[in-house]
Amino acid sequence: MKALLPLLAALPLSSFLYLSPSAPAPKYAVADIPAALREGAHAVLRADDEVVTIKSAGRLVHTVHRVVTILDAAGDDFGRHSVGYDALNAVSYLRGAVYDADGRLLHQLRPAEVRDQGMGDTGGSFMTDVRVRYADLRQPQGPYTVEFDYEIVSDNTLFYPDWQPQEEEGLAVQSATLRVNTPTALPLRYQERQLPAGTTVAHTTAGSQETYQWQLANLPAVDDEEVAPPLAYSTPAVVLAPAAFEVQGHKGTAASWQSFGQWNYELNAGRDQLPPATLAKVAALVKDAPDARTRAQRIYSMLQGSTRYISVQLGLGGWQTFPASSVASNGYGDCKALSNYTKALLAAAGVPSYVALVGAGSDRPDLRADFPSSQFNHAVLCVPMAQAGRPDTLWLECTSQTNPFGYMGSFTGNRHALLLTPQGGQVVATPRYGAAENRQVRRVDLFLDAVGGATATARTLRTGQEHDFYSQLLHELGPAEQKKYVTDRLRLPTFTLTKFNLAATPATPTPGVVETLGLSLPGFAVPSGKRVFINANLLSRLPALPAQIGERQAAVWLPRASLHADTVRLHLPAGFRAETLPAAVQFSTDYGTYACQYQSLPDGTVQYTRHLELKRAQMPRTAYAGYLDFRRKISIADKAQVVLLKTES
Amino acid sequence: MQASLLLRLWWRSLPALLGCWLATGTAWAQSEPIKYGQIDKQDLTAAPFVADSAAAAVVLCDFGRSRMRGKRDGLEVVFERVTRIKILKKSGYEEATVEIPLYHREGNSEKVSNLRGFTYNLVNGSVEKTKLEPGGAFLEKRTANINVQKFTLPNVREGSVIEYAYTLTSDFLFNFQDWTFQRDIPVRWSEYRSSIPTFYKYNIIYQGNRPPDVNLMSVGSVSLLLDRTVQGGIGTGQTAGNMTIGATTEDHQWVLKNVPAFQPEPYMTTARDYTARLDFELTGEQWPDVPYRDLTGTWDKINERLLGMEDFGGRIGRVGFLQDQLQDLSTQYPDIEARAAAVRQVVMAAVRYDGHDRLYALEPLRKAFDAHRGSSADVNLLLLSALQQAGITAHPLLLSTRAHGRVSKEYPLLDRYNYVLALVPLADGKDLLVDATEPLLPCGVLPERCLNRVGRLVSKSPAQSRWVDLAPSQRHVHFQQVHMALDAQGGLSGKVHEEFGGYAAADARTELAAQGEKKYLAGVRQRHEGWALPTLALGQVDNPTKPLTLDYEFRQPATGPAAGPIYLSPLSEFGTGQNPFRRESRAFAVDFGAAQDEMLIVNLTLPEGYELAEIPKAAVVDLPREGGRFRYSVTNTLPGVVQLTSRLTLPNAVYPAEDYANLRELYRLLLARQSDKLVIQKKAGR
Repeated sequence: MKALLPLLAALPLSSFLYLSPSAPAPKYAVADIPAALREGAHAVLRADDEVVTIKSAGRLVHTVHRVVTILDAAGDDFGRHSVGYDALNAVSYLRGAVYDADGRLLHQLRPAEVRDQGMGDTGGSFMTDVRVRYADLRQPQGPYTVEFDYEIVSDNTLFYPDWQPQEEEGLAVQSATLRVNTPTALPLRYQERQLPAGTTVAHTTAGSQETYQWQLANLPAVDDEEVAPPLAYSTPAVVLAPAAFEVQGHKGTAASWQSFGQWNYELNAGRDQLPPATLAKVAALVKDAPDARTRAQRIYSMLQGSTRYISVQLGLGGWQTFPASSVASNGYGDCKALSNYTKALLAAAGVPSYVALVGAGSDRPDLRADFPSSQFNHAVLCVPMAQAGRPDTLWLECTSQTNPFGYMGSFTGNRHALLLTPQGGQVVATPRYGAAENRQVRRVDLFLDAVGGATATARTLRTGQEHDFYSQLLHELGPAEQKKYVTDRLRLPTFTLTKFNLAATPATPTPGVVETLGLSLPGFAVPSGKRVFINANLLSRLPALPAQIGERQAAVWLPRASLHADTVRLHLPAGFRAETLPAAVQFSTDYGTYACQYQSLPDGTVQYTRHLELKRAQMPRTAYAGYLDFRRKISIADKAQVVLLKTES
Repeated sequence: MQASLLLRLWWRSLPALLGCWLATGTAWAQSEPIKYGQIDKQDLTAAPFVADSAAAAVVLCDFGRSRMRGKRDGLEVVFERVTRIKILKKSGYEEATVEIPLYHREGNSEKVSNLRGFTYNLVNGSVEKTKLEPGGAFLEKRTANINVQKFTLPNVREGSVIEYAYTLTSDFLFNFQDWTFQRDIPVRWSEYRSSIPTFYKYNIIYQGNRPPDVNLMSVGSVSLLLDRTVQGGIGTGQTAGNMTIGATTEDHQWVLKNVPAFQPEPYMTTARDYTARLDFELTGEQWPDVPYRDLTGTWDKINERLLGMEDFGGRIGRVGFLQDQLQDLSTQYPDIEARAAAVRQVVMAAVRYDGHDRLYALEPLRKAFDAHRGSSADVNLLLLSALQQAGITAHPLLLSTRAHGRVSKEYPLLDRYNYVLALVPLADGKDLLVDATEPLLPCGVLPERCLNRVGRLVSKSPAQSRWVDLAPSQRHVHFQQVHMALDAQGGLSGKVHEEFGGYAAADARTELAAQGEKKYLAGVRQRHEGWALPTLALGQVDNPTKPLTLDYEFRQPATGPAAGPIYLSPLSEFGTGQNPFRRESRAFAVDFGAAQDEMLIVNLTLPEGYELAEIPKAAVVDLPREGGRFRYSVTNTLPGVVQLTSRLTLPNAVYPAEDYANLRELYRLLLARQSDKLVIQKKAGR
């Protein structure tokens, strides 16, 4: 943005009509917070009163009254609030006020203080109609209490609001309520999650209206813990979803995956017409292809060479795909448009396929298959080679120009997706990636000189989910940035990268990236007297976790299975021999297995090998102590030192 | 007249005046380096780009022209641009999506017109052109004053050449379109031309580490078509006919060829301080038959103007709404320094800095007071007013934050400044610089973002206005004292006293406030992998004038019985572990902001009956020109007790690029010494 000379930028001074509010009765005094709720809390949700009123199949109104006391600076973020809106969701009002510790009104939010901002390219969209209204009531001194009131009128009933008052760590909840009003003709679908024992819904019917009510009180603050499920999976929530809904005249029902999928399928039906030139190109491309898989492979390679991901999300366009013809002429589209386009290309090549909706993201928990509702943020393409869901089914990520053919990886693998078929939706599993696929195989040669300097070469092959990040690095950054990135993250005291290269390996059976490093390590292992100490595990140390303070609250979720295999060869300078080699270590637990050993080889070198296999698992919280011990044992073994002795000669 | 418009050039960041050379031809009428829509087919093949294997894309040509033309009864700036980029890799696709921020305020605006673009691909040996369609362009209302014109080109592939052109018209004459030659991808040819009627005088400032390849200046002419608007009575606002005025122009042409990609590095101020670029500063107006209007000129004039402006001088005055808090301070604190600190406390408790750095308070301070929030200008102009109200002489001090860029003492350019704070002259001739945006800093210490070399004192009296050195008195101080006992099995136990002083204290307190004590201490535990830290206590948390202290005990049980000697590097657990300078070389100065002092003392008690096999040698490493020192020593004066000391002092806030290798080596030696292994063995014969 430009620097603007304020000479011309002076605002007209708005006249001083604003009057200080006369002092009303104090509310939300900090002293009224029970001591138990202040324990470990940076902020306390004093009240969260939400009302969802279903007006019709196509409209709902969501009102929120939210009061938060900020206890210390770490809770400051709760002092501001933003409300998103777009072409189908309007904000009727956003009001706010802030109170001091005694509950006296400090300031009432003025409309002019509410910012209204476009989202720009945040969230990866080139253009979106999503905007935010944003109010900031953070105060110079704490504690203080903010109060926000807002209402959203939604014409997008595909989504009903979720209610999860304790959305962040460090936030205690004093009181929270949810009321849903719906016409009897539009029965509510809901799912209660992690509610405290004894919490029940109050359900009443009056005439043609039904009302559901939930309340929560006195929930102490929770912490985000290591290897824990996301807070969304541990704090109380009520999730709402429509049965019948209507968006921009498109009616549907989400009562089952079948019907939800049907609506999506029909919304996008008929948007797969390709221009004749594209059809001709496809025909030429696949005319000598022996089988469906080869045809699909050629189509995918054509897609990757001629399109790119550009997301335009306007109104219903957030759910309805751009026509295939628009991708053909522009060479870009979002996930829906590119999947739809690829589906059309494959159809032209005689290969049937289905768009599949998926909740993408490496940290995202799996689909809640037991509660049909809109839980997706991405679309991929599923190409059944035989029967859907079988291992030979092909899955195509259509938004990437570099993704290996048929590979889902951390972004969309190991989870469930919703296939959109002419018969409706169908929940199927995406490809699974376990320790056999997710590997890191590393070979290091370390050459020491007599005065403590060293050089090293390291070749690391990463495959499967272990390679995803490096694949991104390779394809999305230029070579100079790649080198900088790797340099900034190497955990070595002082080094110079003398060689650096990343290269993709063939995708069979699992795609991989090979990283080759040349390192110069001046003063790496300076002799202390007659001895030199070397940690043979130069690059693959796995640190221990800090000891548990207090009682572990959350379950243990180990997100990824992997296998790391290291071989390090230490080449000693003349006049040195290995005095002490650390003992071999081996152990096997529910969390994984570890083994390492050291060997003096006949050629005078010392060889270190390490094998670490980590499991993917979900365990109760009682398993955490064992996990800590597992990591501690690995860390100790990883830090073991080889001692070299200068021989007298 | 030409002489008033000097082309100035910063060469290697040192301002140096270079003569302008007048060309025989005219700068504006040179043939254009690029014709929109006409591409060299050669650029679609791979051969010309072999040398660019490290780049994701290359700018083939970036050509901009700015001129002025009549708009109603005034002028506007017309900026035309044609840009052509070769896409080499998929990672370069992002170059095909462009955002142009457009500012508007009070009827004045910047607008884009005639936006057009092509993507060129080589298909079966022939050039295929795809046009940018209207569906590929959007105008987003980003904020109340900023719209963003965005567009994305179609059919972009590896090897494509993309091209776009647009015209940007602007009512903001003070903000004549500047130009950046250097980008994050290499540029083959970057050219800018300007043609400015002599009614307007601009300072043109070039910054770069080499002179432009072409730098021409000439005299041209322009006809400006103006409307004469009826100024009252019937028909107000209607045009009363056109008028054409002829004017001479000063025309420039600058070309930089083969500009390498710019790569940011750690410890630098904003990238704007380092990239090759041109800036235009409006300095005055000269209309026919009207006296010359000097818009900058001298600091005296700037001072006068600033102090007369409603948004600046107009905001400094009596603050009735703080009267109650301020009235007793002068009797309570006869000492000026103590009183200034008390006033600062009052201001900080009343208004919180909202993170926006500003030189002007756009609204009356009462508004910020009511909302309890405001920009740095709201906060510090309120501070100035409050200091004066409490009987303290205080002057505004202008500066440019590190993110905003360096200022030059040579040119009095007001819009190079974006920040104001209060300077209180003390009886001993020293200055107390007071800023009320960061409650975690003591009075008299500037926030790190303000540590940008020099500031300018603003005063009505010319004699008082002067430059003020911003070199901070405070350093980045980190002190650790460790008492460590080793047992015969190799187990460790002990206690640590740690202090963060100066800017290190501010950093630690900021982190502590953001995370809360629990998380912060968890971070300390994380630093000592595998150790048990049963007690941790922070001290002096709420007193920013004192160092933040941290005391803790530790235990590391032996991992197994020690057979033979015990090897231990007692310092390594408390050091940084990694050299902050990862790259082999560096093109820019290392700008730390403040001096540094890092001290670590470990008193190690050996197990009964053990001794050091050898005492490691002491070491002293000095940087040239007293630029810094690392001192290391191991002593064993008491039997059974070894004292290890490591101290790093870097007295300068800024080190020139030439010192980079020495700095890196200094850290290497420090890390090597901190990882020295002590060999601890049983005493012989017992």
